[in-house]
Amino acid sequence: MNLMANILIQVIIAFLAGSLLLGLHRKIMARVQRRPGPPIIQHLLHSLKFFFKETGFPKTASKPFYIGITFILALIWIVGVIAGPVAHDSLLILFGVYAVYKIVEHNSGSSSGSPYGKLSCVRAVLSAATELPLFAAIIFVYLVTGTMNIGEIIAYQSVHGPLIFSIPLAALMFFMLIITKSPYSPFAITKDKVLISGFETEHYGLLRGFMHFSESIAWYVMLWVFLTIFFGPLTAVGYLVGMIVITFITGFINATTPIFSPNHSVMTQITIGAICFFGTILMIFTGVVA
Amino acid sequence: MNSQKIISIIVLVLSTIAILACLVINLETWIVYTVSIFGIPAWVLSLGLLTMAKPKPEDAEERVKEPFTGY
Repeated sequence: MNLMANILIQVIIAFLAGSLLLGLHRKIMARVQRRPGPPIIQHLLHSLKFFFKETGFPKTASKPFYIGITFILALIWIVGVIAGPVAHDSLLILFGVYAVYKIVEHNSGSSSGSPYGKLSCVRAVLSAATELPLFAAIIFVYLVTGTMNIGEIIAYQSVHGPLIFSIPLAALMFFMLIITKSPYSPFAITKDKVLISGFETEHYGLLRGFMHFSESIAWYVMLWVFLTIFFGPLTAVGYLVGMIVITFITGFINATTPIFSPNHSVMTQITIGAICFFGTILMIFTGVVA
Repeated sequence: MNSQKIISIIVLVLSTIAILACLVINLETWIVYTVSIFGIPAWVLSLGLLTMAKPKPEDAEERVKEPFTGY
């Protein structure tokens, strides 16, 4: 197939599947809290609807930066789609995508000139604590498989079995990232309701729709990477079931857990990351991991 | 026609041409990656800037006011 056609198809799949999964996430949270909740398709409809909504740019915003940061958000997740589902390239690229995502959170908040955005921007720096477990998880995958290339990691798992069974604590560290990035997460200190919508507060109308587009792709890519590097070669049905199950688990956790204060959030992430890190090292040195 | 609309039309046309060119012609891999990384977000954003509704002239000032200017 033509490469551009492949990329376009994967981006459309990522957007549609990501939107529906985020809609499902919201529905699950509502049902756990004994509310009817919006239809599953609502997140997708919102994303499309915002493109036709009235949009203005706040006087206090740095306009090129304010619009440009939404462009960068979409750009990095298109890179995520290419490095992941399309090219099966290096995990380090995806780590880089995630690192830039933190910069986007930071600058999206500061570019609007709103105090809510600025406070969220400060919290984005604190929430970078999530990157430590992610980096550690990637390192362990490398130590076990001897490669950072997703295609080679898939090949390794087709011979030796899924990595979730050999390095479960590394998978847990990666799962922490997924929980952190899920909507209404206990670790979502940048979107705490005391900050209205955090760094997205002043991005409304079209720009909010554009950010929804990117975040839907982000959710799909993160779930795809997690399933691929820890559950081995999967069929399309396997990915679908896996993504629905993870969305269900995160929805349940987020519906039953209040959002942490920033210091508790960071300390919890670092503590879980440290336990998993040393636990995996122990497993490697005691020969539990082959 | 304001500058934002003109820029959006130009970006939309350029990104559409670039994406279509990559679909029709078998170009080098790095060219296709570059076009998709910059072209797809540019296409979506420029289309959105053209389709979004604008505030009425009498409401325009109210829409861009920030309640906490000066921070």
